[in-house]
Amino acid sequence: MNFKLMIVAVSLLSFGSTAAALDLGKLLEERLNQELNKDKPAQQAPAPAPSTAPAQGAASAPPPAKQKIDPAQLGFALFGDYSLEEENRIGRQISGNLLGAVPLVRDDKLQHYVNLVGQWVAQNSGRKDVTWRFGVLDTEAINAFAAPGGYIFVTKGLYRRLKSEADLAGVLGHEIAHVTQKHHLKVLKQSSLIGALGQVASSKAKESDPMVQNLIGNGAEILARGLDKSAEFEADRVGVVYAARAGYEPWGLPSVLQDLAGLPAGDIRTSLLYKTHPHPADRLAMLGEAVGSRFDAVRGKDPTDRFYRIK
Amino acid sequence: MKRNLIAMLALLVCSVATSALASTGTVLRDEKLYSKPSATAPVSASVRKGASVTILSKQGGWLRVSAGKSTGWIRLLSVRAGAGGLGGAGVGDVVGAATTKSDPSRVVAVAGLRGLNDEQLKQAKFNADEIARMEAQTVSVAQARSFAGQSGLVAAKVPALPAPKPAQSSSPWETQ
Repeated sequence: MNFKLMIVAVSLLSFGSTAAALDLGKLLEERLNQELNKDKPAQQAPAPAPSTAPAQGAASAPPPAKQKIDPAQLGFALFGDYSLEEENRIGRQISGNLLGAVPLVRDDKLQHYVNLVGQWVAQNSGRKDVTWRFGVLDTEAINAFAAPGGYIFVTKGLYRRLKSEADLAGVLGHEIAHVTQKHHLKVLKQSSLIGALGQVASSKAKESDPMVQNLIGNGAEILARGLDKSAEFEADRVGVVYAARAGYEPWGLPSVLQDLAGLPAGDIRTSLLYKTHPHPADRLAMLGEAVGSRFDAVRGKDPTDRFYRIK
Repeated sequence: MKRNLIAMLALLVCSVATSALASTGTVLRDEKLYSKPSATAPVSASVRKGASVTILSKQGGWLRVSAGKSTGWIRLLSVRAGAGGLGGAGVGDVVGAATTKSDPSRVVAVAGLRGLNDEQLKQAKFNADEIARMEAQTVSVAQARSFAGQSGLVAAKVPALPAPKPAQSSSPWETQ
């Protein structure tokens, strides 16, 4: 108990350096109080403030000193770590919504092939605690998506532009990187400061999860809002390395970006992609800065002969 | 005289092919052109950032390009495909908006295809059948390993790429 209070106090202290940081501290605290009082409105026993607490000044309220602080919940509110189970629920809900907007291509051979390539690249990403799943979406839009928990999507429109398995591995590597770097979870954390999700409300866990839906907003709009530019550049840098570690030649993703950079700017198929991603030319430039001569000695393969082509 | 004619003809054919295939590129940084697709090959020329090149062919991480009178190999990541100079999203968007408005035939043709926009994503409702279908396609790690082995794909040790130094300090994203 004292240890937990110490964490709160020390955290607030370290936030106290600037006015903006103090506000964040207050926000966190209010949010924490809200979360804790939600379950236990009656139990509000005041606890002695730890010795470090007064140093934070009058700007913030006393640290939350309520009974039965759930360590996981406290840890989340302060440091924003979703549990693996929560990550899976969030990813499944986003993915189910996305599939509500656009279904999978009805081609089992295609879906199986993409799962094989994706699973192989994902196994070389170092993240093995999630179940990696891949799907090709039945739309001519040119795009790809990732959701937490290892759900990865490529549109038919983008797949058609791929020329080889290394291209596919590069695209999937970029999306896998969004999951390993937890980019969407960080967005959720920044925007909501929400507490633990609690138990699955419905006994039918296969259905829509209202608590998660409340967290992620409307439908799959989190995918339409996109990520920070630097997250996309990072996913490019990390993704090409995943593909290379899987034994592919590392030029798949750069080749796809080259291809996209050459498309006419007004093409409706790329409107959402360009809204949510930096321009391919900017991505090429940034990736080029990072790669330089570092891949000169990388000798990967590109098994083009078995690349699956959509009819 | 005859030689000149042939050269002119070749140039003409070249420029026609260029516009048709849109194989123009823009150099993204000051770079060298090598005589072979390798950084250890002799340097045949230098190109400046922003220069226009014609992309002739591609091999691995290299593009064979011609720039002015020189021809040589340049790193794939040092060129962006397409004309229009160095401008990224900004220029593209302006051109795009103009194209969309001034060319109605094109808009009709593309809009006929099913696109995917943010409003559709916002309105989307959870589809339990489709997610179950996707989850049923999951392959095992052993399957993936065997698939990789069939074509001789071998896991390789490749170090992580460092984040480029400028303008990364304030990024809220952690580098790995």
